[in-house]
Amino acid sequence: MESRPNTIYRALDRKAAAITEFTMRQYRTKASTWVVLGVGLVAISLVLLIYIDVMATGFESVDNDRDSEDPDNDGYPTGQEIKYGTDPYMDNSHPGLLTPSIEPEPASNYIDEDGFDITISGGADEQSTGYDDDGDCRDADRTNSQKDSNDNNIICDILIERDRFSGDWYAEADNYVDEDPDDAAYAAEASHMAFVLGIGKMGFVLLLGMFLPLFLATGLIREEMNDGTMHFMLSKPIARTEVFLYRILGYLGIVWPYFIGLGIIFALISGFIGPSDGFFRFQDLAVWLAIVFATMMASFVYGMLFCALGTMWRFGIVLAIPFAAWELGMCIVSMGAPDAPILRFSVVGWALMIVDAAALMAWPNIDIFILQGQLMGDFGLIHSTSLALDFFHSEPGVGTSGLISAVIATVVLLVQGAVLWFIGGAIFKGKEIE
Amino acid sequence: MMPDFDQQGKGQTKAWQPDLSAPAVLLEGVSKSYGRIFALSNITMALNGGVTGILGMNGAGKSTMFKLLMGKLKPSQGKIRLFGTDPWKNPAPYARVGFVPEHEKMYDWMTAHQFVSTFARLNGLTRAEAMLEADRVLNFVGLADVAHKKIGQYSKGMRQRAKIAHALVNDPELIILDEPLQGCDPLARTTIMNVIRELGRMGRTVIVSSHILQEIERITEQIVILHNGRLLALGNLHAIRDKLDQIPHRITIEAEDAKALAKDVIDMDEVYGISFPDMKNLSIQTHNLGAIHSKLPAAIVENGHRIHTIDNPDDDLASILGYLTSGGGI
Repeated sequence: MESRPNTIYRALDRKAAAITEFTMRQYRTKASTWVVLGVGLVAISLVLLIYIDVMATGFESVDNDRDSEDPDNDGYPTGQEIKYGTDPYMDNSHPGLLTPSIEPEPASNYIDEDGFDITISGGADEQSTGYDDDGDCRDADRTNSQKDSNDNNIICDILIERDRFSGDWYAEADNYVDEDPDDAAYAAEASHMAFVLGIGKMGFVLLLGMFLPLFLATGLIREEMNDGTMHFMLSKPIARTEVFLYRILGYLGIVWPYFIGLGIIFALISGFIGPSDGFFRFQDLAVWLAIVFATMMASFVYGMLFCALGTMWRFGIVLAIPFAAWELGMCIVSMGAPDAPILRFSVVGWALMIVDAAALMAWPNIDIFILQGQLMGDFGLIHSTSLALDFFHSEPGVGTSGLISAVIATVVLLVQGAVLWFIGGAIFKGKEIE
Repeated sequence: MMPDFDQQGKGQTKAWQPDLSAPAVLLEGVSKSYGRIFALSNITMALNGGVTGILGMNGAGKSTMFKLLMGKLKPSQGKIRLFGTDPWKNPAPYARVGFVPEHEKMYDWMTAHQFVSTFARLNGLTRAEAMLEADRVLNFVGLADVAHKKIGQYSKGMRQRAKIAHALVNDPELIILDEPLQGCDPLARTTIMNVIRELGRMGRTVIVSSHILQEIERITEQIVILHNGRLLALGNLHAIRDKLDQIPHRITIEAEDAKALAKDVIDMDEVYGISFPDMKNLSIQTHNLGAIHSKLPAAIVENGHRIHTIDNPDDDLASILGYLTSGGGI
């Protein structure tokens, strides 16, 4: 054989690329691959359809302070009568009798007249938020002490304070501030973020990131051993540990593009139809990137794990199921207690940390946003959507900044994958092949 | 262990150098047991050069021996060396070994050319080199014109030849073929036998297994007989045959006039008995098969007998085994 200088390309073009390419082609010829990928697509698309339906239908706003009503039937909503100082409960007192006469406003003007925003200021235990959009707090007729009924020396705001003893947060608004927030806007924003985090964590990282490897990687070595076709590969001068690794690379060559493709579709659809001031929610892209990356990392570690279990025993999938159940449990734990030490002994705990870290970086005010929703306990729609968002959102469990958490989690997942490769390779090396 | 990042194939790197003074295949006291059942028991032999037939009934331990040689199984006892290297611990010798497994299952979705060239790259060849190598070996086994057809569309004989081509990549010094003729039609059988004989002529060490004596006989004279996991005989087939000829044998002849033929052979010294299984068949008992075979054609021609078939029902592996295991020994 002629010898030419060894470029990196030529070097990689030999064993690694041969087995990787072969494995990818083999997957493509199997009906089971397409069934598994198809079922994954259908399952996750159903959730997307529900999201699209919710966003298309929108949310119905609630008149929280009931000032759009007209109890005296004089044609003027309560809010308008208060604005002009007439009596909302007497039909012979309304702004139409003033000079000049005022035309009645539509009741809908008083349904969400004072939305709130989530810009915050202040320290760790005491924060100020809220804005009096409809101007009924900042009214010139009112004194400064009337405008600062919560006594935090900021007029017309909402004080969010942590109780020194219980550690719980509570909120106290100045009078007439955010008394009738925009339910629909809050619900849409909270639902959107809950969808991104929920589908990202449960749908992508857990469902696709774990069940695809369960069905696609468990037989990666085992099926060849059972069929006897492994002899073709192993009668060549190649170490079994290498075969194990390159087979995994071939499997990743199928599932990673699948995750990337799905991630792009989901990011585009939710970015265009999600609530946004512009035409596209660019701020979500970092979260989607993290979701796809975390899914890729999870599928890499699970692939190594399940392939090793399949190599170990003919019915490796039976061994894999307890692991899958454990990971499902850890996924739920991470939603509620992201800093639980037990999560360190899982794959999904670390993978979800990447998503949480990205959410923290992309949506820095998400905590206060959730808190506001929950503190407005009276307002049903806001409260329930903020609870949903709260369920799917967690702080990255290692207690550092988003970026460092993501880096730590990635390194841990890489180490887990490498250790499992070592174990899987050792199991394969010790296996007798009939 | 770390992957072989330079992807050269260990056979070509400094890491592994074949020990040319060592025989291609060496087994020393090798046993392989599954629980209390011995699949192979205390096999000792060395093979280097030429074509060797491994003869044995199904379950005699032929495939077990090959899988031990190929490092697929770990010996329970004893020492196995391929070119001086333990194949269970080190896959490096496979750079110089080709293996045709017995398994029927292949990658039916690939063409033979894809199949051979893909796995050729595991020998450390680049894509382009592997393509050329696949052309060469597929041509050698006579599959050049169908190389780009899917293996799933191949006949049994073509599949076997594709497996042989896969094993011949990188021009190995040792080729191990596990039942390569099984299930093949006569034409494919002849082609494969020619390929094996050609490899022998090229100076390669070839080990081929079969459970049919006549097949091995057409390929090589050097045989190893395995029976119930034991090495029963090792040596030249003719030597074994000469011994075999001395033991009682039957020859069955289907003739137009069996009785007339009987009259002409009954006087031969070597014949000690005749019988008529039916009207058309004559069965001759002899204790010198070779002598009968030299006299019989003359007797038939001189007396103008018309015969349809001549058969040696005892001249097969079962009777050799029966003879060897009944204390004959060689």
